[in-house]
Amino acid sequence: MTKTMRILLASCGTLALASAATADTVRIGITQNNVGIDSYQTTYERAFIAAAEANPDVEVIVLDAGGDVARQISQMQDLIQQQVDAIIIWPTDGQALVPAVRNAHRAEIPVVVTNSNIAEAGMEFIAAFSGPNNVQQGIYSAEMMCDALDGEGQIVQITGMPGYTTAIERQQGFDERLAELCPGVTQLDIQPGDWNRERAQRTMETFLTRFDQIDGVYSGDDNMGVGALNAALAAGRAEGMVFIGATNFAVGYDAMARGEYWGSVYQSPVDDAEAALQTALDVLAGEDVPKLNYFDTPKITQDNMDEFDRPVF
Amino acid sequence: MTRLKAGGPAIAKQGILVAFIVFMIAFSLMSDRFLSLDNFMSVFRQAAIIGVMALGVTIVVIGGNLDLSVGSMLSFATVLVVDLHDKIGPELAIPVMVLATLCLGAINGFLIGILRLNSLIVTLGMLSAIQGLVLIYSGGQNVDIADQSGTWFAIFGRGAMFGIATPIIIFGTMALVFHIIMTTMPFGRKVYAVGGNPTASVFSGIPRSRVVFTTYLISALCVAVAAMILGSRVMGSQNNVGQGYELQVLAAVILGGTSLLGGAGSILKTVLGVLMLAFIQNGLILMGQPYYTQWLVTWVVIIVAVWLDVAAKRGRLFSPIA
Repeated sequence: MTKTMRILLASCGTLALASAATADTVRIGITQNNVGIDSYQTTYERAFIAAAEANPDVEVIVLDAGGDVARQISQMQDLIQQQVDAIIIWPTDGQALVPAVRNAHRAEIPVVVTNSNIAEAGMEFIAAFSGPNNVQQGIYSAEMMCDALDGEGQIVQITGMPGYTTAIERQQGFDERLAELCPGVTQLDIQPGDWNRERAQRTMETFLTRFDQIDGVYSGDDNMGVGALNAALAAGRAEGMVFIGATNFAVGYDAMARGEYWGSVYQSPVDDAEAALQTALDVLAGEDVPKLNYFDTPKITQDNMDEFDRPVF
Repeated sequence: MTRLKAGGPAIAKQGILVAFIVFMIAFSLMSDRFLSLDNFMSVFRQAAIIGVMALGVTIVVIGGNLDLSVGSMLSFATVLVVDLHDKIGPELAIPVMVLATLCLGAINGFLIGILRLNSLIVTLGMLSAIQGLVLIYSGGQNVDIADQSGTWFAIFGRGAMFGIATPIIIFGTMALVFHIIMTTMPFGRKVYAVGGNPTASVFSGIPRSRVVFTTYLISALCVAVAAMILGSRVMGSQNNVGQGYELQVLAAVILGGTSLLGGAGSILKTVLGVLMLAFIQNGLILMGQPYYTQWLVTWVVIIVAVWLDVAAKRGRLFSPIA
């Protein structure tokens, strides 16, 4: 064996090793919506990084758009330039991000949308969506309300910020399921609480003035639900009133433990983050991934709350 | 000397009062729940947070400046006092929060009063800078008070004296004190002078920088008091709880007839403006109207009020030559 041949062989061996390494580790870029604006997103990021670190075959590039559409579009371009294996995006705006997602699709980089879905026009360019099913959450809340009231009663509803997909979908699921399952339960009025506890409290105070009999309150999240509960407690009318929420918050969990709050929907940012990463890995492994990947957001009530950890937010 | 007094001719001063009465009658006719002591007390209590902040902003605006930072300053103060409540106890948390909030007010006052920067730019910048500060401090987490029923901190938002809710008493007392300061004391006259004609006020020996600086300290103090009411009422705080409050505050001040050019305005009419906004919000929900019609109605009312105000001063409704 000549010296040249040995060098050639050695270099072939190195090449083989190098390509083996790139085949095993995948590089995934994530661009998030707005970390730090609320506890959910903060916890999501931490859980995502932890899940990635626990997997030696994954290398992640973690970016945050800070709620800025323009910044997120340039982050998408950067990730495409870096030729990552897959991109996970939490869209700041489902409509405005469609062209950026299409560019990634053209560059043959699979895109997984997490938490909040992209607009309908972008669906053909994404590999999968991973997140909560807000319509289903509304349905769960309607079922709990129906259950708690035994099918009879008058309720009010406090929704999230008008125009937010999450708010619209939860209300849609709730309204439709309640009408179908519980025709005996009437909704007296529906007003937005803008995801703000103090605003929900004010809205509930006015409801209490306006209606002599309120049997139940459905709120678009627990933060507003606790605001409504505060108002009812202050008016001395919380006794026997059924409070149902969504996105179980720590305050809602505690109120449930005190027996003041009836039930909610448990949505864990940790599950959300892990589901997003897993969906991306499944796509890269060539598995047959459904377009809409919902992670489970179960009902949580006073009866089964022991099965759940107290939410971190 | 008329420049030093609030408003113009007597009739112009009554525009907001007339509008207020018209609204009250209209709502009473449309909802039988509206005209009741319980509902009024509930509206007064709801108005107190925006109201207390509006008192401070009125003084800033009379002094010829704006304060748009009060919304995120409210988030800052509320998150701070609620977070520290469980860590060092309410008796320490309150003074720490008040001092920290006054520091923010001092920054505004320094930049606008001493360095004479434009107040719109400075407070708009502070609006987002303070929001950033809140997020850094809290790391994005919501804060809550663990022992909600046991703490004496509850008196500010949930307590009552002589059957009247504490927020109403705080708002009423502060409005009265501020009204006396602005109408009878030298400081009040200096604020009107500085806002009305800054150059003339300097030549008259009024320490303009110090007066403007003080107006921002007062505004920050009001925010701190509002944060105590809010934190105690909700027993927790989101990071962005005060988001958008700056516009509601400004709307109340404008509705009260305070001139954005400075030099004219009145604390008592701001109180009317605050109450009118709160009653519009309450009345529309009582009537079963969607909440967002409130935005529409509010701004229509403000524009009509401003128009009538100007028309009364000019002596006619239309004045093409102005």
